[in-house]
Amino acid sequence: MSTLLTTEYGVKDIVKSFGGAKALSGVSISVKSGEVHCIAGENGSGKSTLIKIMSGIHAPDTGLIRLGEKSFTKLSPREAVHEGVQVIFQDFSLLPNMTVAENIAMPTYILNNSRILSKKQTKEIASNALDLIGVDIDINTPVADISIASKQLIAIARATNLGVKMLFMDEPTTALTRKEIKRLFEVVEQIKARGVATVFVSHKIDEIQEICNTITILRNGEVVADGLMKDYKRDAISEAMTGLNISETRIAPPLKPSTTKVIEVKNLSTKPTFSNVSFSIAPGEILGITGLLGSGRTELAEAIFGQYPVDSGEIIVEGKSIQLNSSSAAIKAGIGYVPPDRLTQGLFLDQSILRNLVAVGIDQYQGRGGTLAKNRLYEAGEKWIKDLRIKTKNSQNPVTSLSGGNQQRVVLAKWLAMNPHLMILNGPTVGVDIGSKREILEIIRDRAQEGMAFLVVSDDIPELIQICHRVMVIKNGQVSKEFNESELDENVLYKELS
Amino acid sequence: MNWKKLLLRNETALIIAIILLSITIGVKSPEFFTLSTLFDIFRSSFVQLLFALGVLVVIISGGIDVSFPIVGIFAGYTAVVIMQKFDLNENSLMIPIVLAILIGVALGGLNSIAIASFGIPTLIATLGTAGVFRGIMLTFIGSSFISDIPVGLDNFATADLLAIQPEEGTLARLHILIIPIVIITLLVAFLLNRTMFGRSVYALGGGVEATRRLGISVKRTQAKIYMLVGALSGLAGILYVSLQRKANPYDLAGSELDIIAAVVLGGASIMGGYGTVFGTVLGVILISLIKNNLILLGVSGSWQRAAVGALLLIGITVQAINESRKAKNRRVSTNDEAA
Amino acid sequence: MNERWNKLNTGLLADRKITQLLAITIGTLLVFSILSPNIFFSPNNFKSMSYQVPEIAILSIAVMLSMLTGGIDLSIVSISNAAALVAAYVMRSKSDTTGTESLMWILIACVLGIIVGLIAGGINSILIAKLDVTPILATLATMTLFNGIAIGMTDGVSVSGLPEQFMRVGNGTFFGIPTPFVLMVIIAGAVGLWINKTTLGLKIFLVGTNRKAAQYSVMGDRKVIAWVYLASGFLSALAGLIIASRTSAASPDFGSSYILLAIVIVVLGGVNPMGGFGTVTGVILATVVLQMVSSGFNALRFSQFLYLAAQGGVLIFVMILNVVLENRRVNKSISKSLRS
Repeated sequence: MSTLLTTEYGVKDIVKSFGGAKALSGVSISVKSGEVHCIAGENGSGKSTLIKIMSGIHAPDTGLIRLGEKSFTKLSPREAVHEGVQVIFQDFSLLPNMTVAENIAMPTYILNNSRILSKKQTKEIASNALDLIGVDIDINTPVADISIASKQLIAIARATNLGVKMLFMDEPTTALTRKEIKRLFEVVEQIKARGVATVFVSHKIDEIQEICNTITILRNGEVVADGLMKDYKRDAISEAMTGLNISETRIAPPLKPSTTKVIEVKNLSTKPTFSNVSFSIAPGEILGITGLLGSGRTELAEAIFGQYPVDSGEIIVEGKSIQLNSSSAAIKAGIGYVPPDRLTQGLFLDQSILRNLVAVGIDQYQGRGGTLAKNRLYEAGEKWIKDLRIKTKNSQNPVTSLSGGNQQRVVLAKWLAMNPHLMILNGPTVGVDIGSKREILEIIRDRAQEGMAFLVVSDDIPELIQICHRVMVIKNGQVSKEFNESELDENVLYKELS
Repeated sequence: MNWKKLLLRNETALIIAIILLSITIGVKSPEFFTLSTLFDIFRSSFVQLLFALGVLVVIISGGIDVSFPIVGIFAGYTAVVIMQKFDLNENSLMIPIVLAILIGVALGGLNSIAIASFGIPTLIATLGTAGVFRGIMLTFIGSSFISDIPVGLDNFATADLLAIQPEEGTLARLHILIIPIVIITLLVAFLLNRTMFGRSVYALGGGVEATRRLGISVKRTQAKIYMLVGALSGLAGILYVSLQRKANPYDLAGSELDIIAAVVLGGASIMGGYGTVFGTVLGVILISLIKNNLILLGVSGSWQRAAVGALLLIGITVQAINESRKAKNRRVSTNDEAA
Repeated sequence: MNERWNKLNTGLLADRKITQLLAITIGTLLVFSILSPNIFFSPNNFKSMSYQVPEIAILSIAVMLSMLTGGIDLSIVSISNAAALVAAYVMRSKSDTTGTESLMWILIACVLGIIVGLIAGGINSILIAKLDVTPILATLATMTLFNGIAIGMTDGVSVSGLPEQFMRVGNGTFFGIPTPFVLMVIIAGAVGLWINKTTLGLKIFLVGTNRKAAQYSVMGDRKVIAWVYLASGFLSALAGLIIASRTSAASPDFGSSYILLAIVIVVLGGVNPMGGFGTVTGVILATVVLQMVSSGFNALRFSQFLYLAAQGGVLIFVMILNVVLENRRVNKSISKSLRS
């Protein structure tokens, strides 16, 4: 097909440990120039470590990094950039205090070892880079004032501008709308034609199946599959990633008919993030909300928890119309919220499991004169450890001693302890191993059977199908469609999302 | 030209404040509006400005340095002591200046080891090094007041560029330092805006990890920053000794508050990533105005510090209110989901 | 094996740090006693130390509180001076009274001083908890302002000639133990009980560990921070009164080097500057250590400036040690999460 000489980039037999635990054990990957390669894996499979090694942030214990003709035992970030390796991380690594132009131009200056910069040159570099991917953003705006979707595009412009030879994109599609994904793929086709080796690191197989030529699947630090994308069907990929034939049967409990509603939301709007959202949830009902990141789904959930402002609309909880202008009002109304990022938002990492378990309801354990009723505290801790089967021998252990799945259970327990009427869960099984995923869904089911209402915000369609009674799709801040129990089907949902 | 944006800038508020203050003082004491006063303000601002420029660079990078006045007096005092001990050419001006700068760089280097190599939070690190430097200076180098400083330094105190005698009033003397100070100020501005180093300083203030991923050596940039502060502080210290015509090792300690106030009022954010040389210059002028001319308003000199404190308090309150208004206006989902 | 390590780490971590501190305390005691058997190791010296430790300990506890929430209060010394000055003014203006009337005025003076501390702490609280100003900047500003007001009102001159009844507190004994020391123990005990045994205390530790998670856990993080700076102001005022009582004077510039000393002490005492961990016992022990160093240097005829250098040195040394140990701990926990 192509008569150009192809160069190969990759790693050979990479081993990397962190303090005694192997993140990568003998991983070899090869990507040809002009190829779009997918590295698929769950959290903890080693894909992040691999990216960091290839971009020079970590050094491998043993093994080689192969960039074309050259081999390296390790790289520094600067060397990696010099050799043409660029990574677009999930947080984009942009500098919010500097302008779009500067952010885009910086790597070029660094690559050229420039000492002196000129404003004119900076603007030129930036304009060219943006033109290359067909994006129009005011280059004089500070990045802090720019939307997430635009930040993603700026990061891409920055990376593709540099005569990059090997481009890594870490979970690139999570922040893009369908339209922007299309545009991204167009750009990828362009750079592919110019001979760039592109690597998509992702676990969103459906989104990248159309763009990737080849695929490598990592699990627990090892390569478990490797070959042409067309040879792998979605199920095969999923199974290889998780190592299990996961039962994806529905476990949503039967819904008892009810005349009352736990919560009714009428025409909730905070422009431009979400507008005219209406829905209701009955006791024991599990409503799912999904949408691409940037669709407004998180803000909607947080608005119902009093963490995000509401411009207009009504919220009725247990028949009473209330103003949710603070989270304490939400708690008083019987609403709880499990945030999406447990490490930064949900847990107190340096504290004990017990302290984490009681963090929301501390005032409940008040004894005389504001003292802490330690016995009651301890008992409550033991109860929740037992109820949610949190794997620990001592509630005084630091919460960091728990696995991701158990940590998530702690955050869940923290809120269940408040016995809310409505539990809002945002990404309840993100970064959680398969076994725990199932158990967490079972916990949700059990509570629902007891009458607790749930609002589950997630981008994991299979998960939503397993546990929800109904699923709402949010697009650009509005409810685009609501699916009830009989209509829940993966393909239909994915289609609605695009 | 976006007039609204220009008006809302910090520097504009400062210029207005300076003008208003000057008018108020001038109305009360007309002798304020003389060339002599202007030249005096300059003279009293030189040392402050050098310190402030160093602090500006540190603050933009997201850190804070409270050891710089100690570095200054250490360098100035030690330079004089060395000159006297080793009988160096006492007429030379360059020798003590070079000595002081070198000492400043060395001390700044020690700061950078604590901060860059060991990652100690900047406030605590420089609080500690300030104690070490001051303690070592007063214990081992000397704690006595030196009034007969080398001739070259001493003469420099009266090296005037211009001396204008009006018909009535005091002689207006513009010290020659105005030239090198203006040059240094422009150089620092150039450094910050047009060099890779300068942009790395801003980058650090924007995000340490993002900076690292760009391929910029965080440690090396930090080392350069603290050595630059050291050099500027050392220079400031020796010039202080010269202008005061004495080397008192107990001087300058405690002046970090006024200078940090000047830099913060000048628009630098203590969180890092923001700040300009122009703003700092304005901040220094404002603080200088207050400290030296409050008397002309009939306010006793003992209230200088309170005035600076009140101003700083107003400044940070206004900045804080602005910040929260900006955050509300953004309303972008910054709650990124983790993978 | 790992289970035991974990138990040791959390349940007994506090104890382990305190055991280390005890070792350091005893070690320091021995070193200086051996080096200076007559001057340092004498009842007079121990007595004088026990009069000077309390004020610094109380100031350090104030810094500890703000540090527990992940911030810092740099204005403690200026607040303590301000409180002392207000009290001193009142006492001096009523110096012609005697007996119970004089006693009443002394009490009023002290109460006024404490109110000053509360107002000052309140200003810090508004800036930090309500306006979201970073603690370093906020307390730098208030430190300058309070210090400035004190200098302005006194013209830099200290207020002396305080009533003898008042001086008895700072220089007297209570059942043989120096009164300030007794006060310190009471105050330290109260603060210890507050942070360890109350719901607000637990919240302080959680807010300091992860402010964001505290917000998502809806525990009134702003209120917690407001209380902490209020308490810090209160404690600073108490320290100021004790200083005034001991030295029989109040001055606007007293103890300008105390802020460094207090930070050295809390860091040595095991308080995490990033927030979330610290003990009162640790702070008290560290205060004793630093006081022994000061007095030991004195006994050995070292310059007081060498003590200043030593403070800085200890601070940097302990911070480096903390960083090195923390890196080791983080590596261990990464490996742990990778294994599970």
